[in-house]
Amino acid sequence: MSVPSPTMSAMPVIETEGLTKLYGRHRGIEGVTIAVEAGEVFGFLGPNGAGKTTTIRTLLDLIHPSAGRALLFGLDSQRESVAIRSRLGNLPGDFGYGREATGREALRLLARLRGIDGLGRAEALAQRFRADLDRPLGQLSRGNRQKVGLILATFHEPELLILDEPTGGLDPLMQEEFLALVAEERERGCAVFISSHDLDEVQRVCDRVGIVRNGRLIAVERMADLLGKARRKVTIRLGDSEPPLELGELAGVSEIERDGDLVSFKVAGELDPVVKALAAHRVLDLEAVHPTLEEVFLGYYREEEDE
Amino acid sequence: MSSQVAALIATHLSDRRRSLLAWGLPIGLMSAFIVAIFPSVEDSISKAIEGYPEGLKEAFGIGQLSNVEQYLQAEMLSLIVPLAAGYLAVRAVASGLSGAAESGRLDVLLSAPVSRPRLCAAGFLATAVELAAVLALGWLLTMLGSALASAGLGASPAAAGFANVWPLAMLFAGLGIVACGFSLRTSVVTGAVAGVLVAMYVIDLVGKLDSGLSGIRYASVFRYYGNAIEDGIDPLAFAGVTAAAIGLAALGAWLFERRDISA
Repeated sequence: MSVPSPTMSAMPVIETEGLTKLYGRHRGIEGVTIAVEAGEVFGFLGPNGAGKTTTIRTLLDLIHPSAGRALLFGLDSQRESVAIRSRLGNLPGDFGYGREATGREALRLLARLRGIDGLGRAEALAQRFRADLDRPLGQLSRGNRQKVGLILATFHEPELLILDEPTGGLDPLMQEEFLALVAEERERGCAVFISSHDLDEVQRVCDRVGIVRNGRLIAVERMADLLGKARRKVTIRLGDSEPPLELGELAGVSEIERDGDLVSFKVAGELDPVVKALAAHRVLDLEAVHPTLEEVFLGYYREEEDE
Repeated sequence: MSSQVAALIATHLSDRRRSLLAWGLPIGLMSAFIVAIFPSVEDSISKAIEGYPEGLKEAFGIGQLSNVEQYLQAEMLSLIVPLAAGYLAVRAVASGLSGAAESGRLDVLLSAPVSRPRLCAAGFLATAVELAAVLALGWLLTMLGSALASAGLGASPAAAGFANVWPLAMLFAGLGIVACGFSLRTSVVTGAVAGVLVAMYVIDLVGKLDSGLSGIRYASVFRYYGNAIEDGIDPLAFAGVTAAAIGLAALGAWLFERRDISA
């Protein structure tokens, strides 16, 4: 299936406005507003119960929103859900299909429901992921079932992939293969919406991330901006005994610690003022470490808890 | 019929292929046994029946028991087969909806461009086929039992007796879809509809036993069940109950369309 080029398609593939789902007095999600473009890999991050799966199930019209709306391909997620689902692939969280059916039987049914002759690229994907399509799913390990789920979600070359915890149970080799597949799908122009706990995986493959907490979207950032805005940890080894008191007066510098000739601190923003301040000292070594997404993610959560 | 519905029906029937033997075989063998022993118990049964109260005989559809058709009706088609078929119908229809939700299959199916009403329609139609196959096997084995014991059971009356169970059981398939509109737990769906099935049977029985309460029989589908093996199928009752089953299935599909399918 050909996918419109990202430059030709101005309309977001996913667009939500104030998407809200309430379960009686409990909040599932509240006011979630996001837009995902064609050819973009969007990571949706948050701990268990934050609202990731609720958001995905609302996009798929499995659950109906209490307020707000979601448009996929410009179509209303409730009124036009059948037309939407003809253009997407979905891997549900904790994929299951029953114990007795084989992956091939599931593929045949889905191909018929999608009006596809044959199984598309399913065989090639099965070889790539070393998936057994002929054993009953109930006899497969969680990881091997997950491979079948990935094939079911992608075999028809959809324009949008929605993946809820896609690498659960996959071994590291298959996780690499999965990340490569996501990159290829992006190249093809497919939009990918990934909910994941695996921050390393998200950091490696996502263009943008949304961070959700207690049902609310608390940040949406480009991955590079998110990591760039975060505080870097700088460690210097001084060749003189003078304490670098100037550092404490610089904006954006915090958490200064000294241990012998080693001084470590965190810097938000440019390093230039730090480098200039250190010019008055003899610097034997300097290391500036970018934070991982995990540190950024935890930072967001700490900030929210502090508020 | 759309190719999507046809594909879903084929999958449903393939998944439930064992039910033909699991349900058709016991129903058929038991009916065959009942028919086969009739020639040897005919005299003693007739004498025993003469002593039964009239109300009891009417309540359980026991007439003279002077022929094998009446005996099959009294022993199997008035109670055991309708209750078993009704329970099978709700189990079958629930397997495609609440059962699929519990196994995770519903999430996969509803990721494809298939509407929920079509999913319900496929489950209902597949149940209709499964039920017809089970009843046909029951009839076939019963006829085999009759032939082996030279009981003289008429093929057409027996076919009418078994076929008459179909709309009644399908009504409970329709109720099963309605129940799936409220719950996606198979134990809740089958428990609730099985409760209605038994309650309807009891209501009809009470209405038959007490003429003062005969009005309550209109609340039970068994009121329209009749005795097809002796009287033939009542076309109006057959069509009416079938239409009610389809109406309930449509209501269930409407409810199912509006409900959330939670993880």
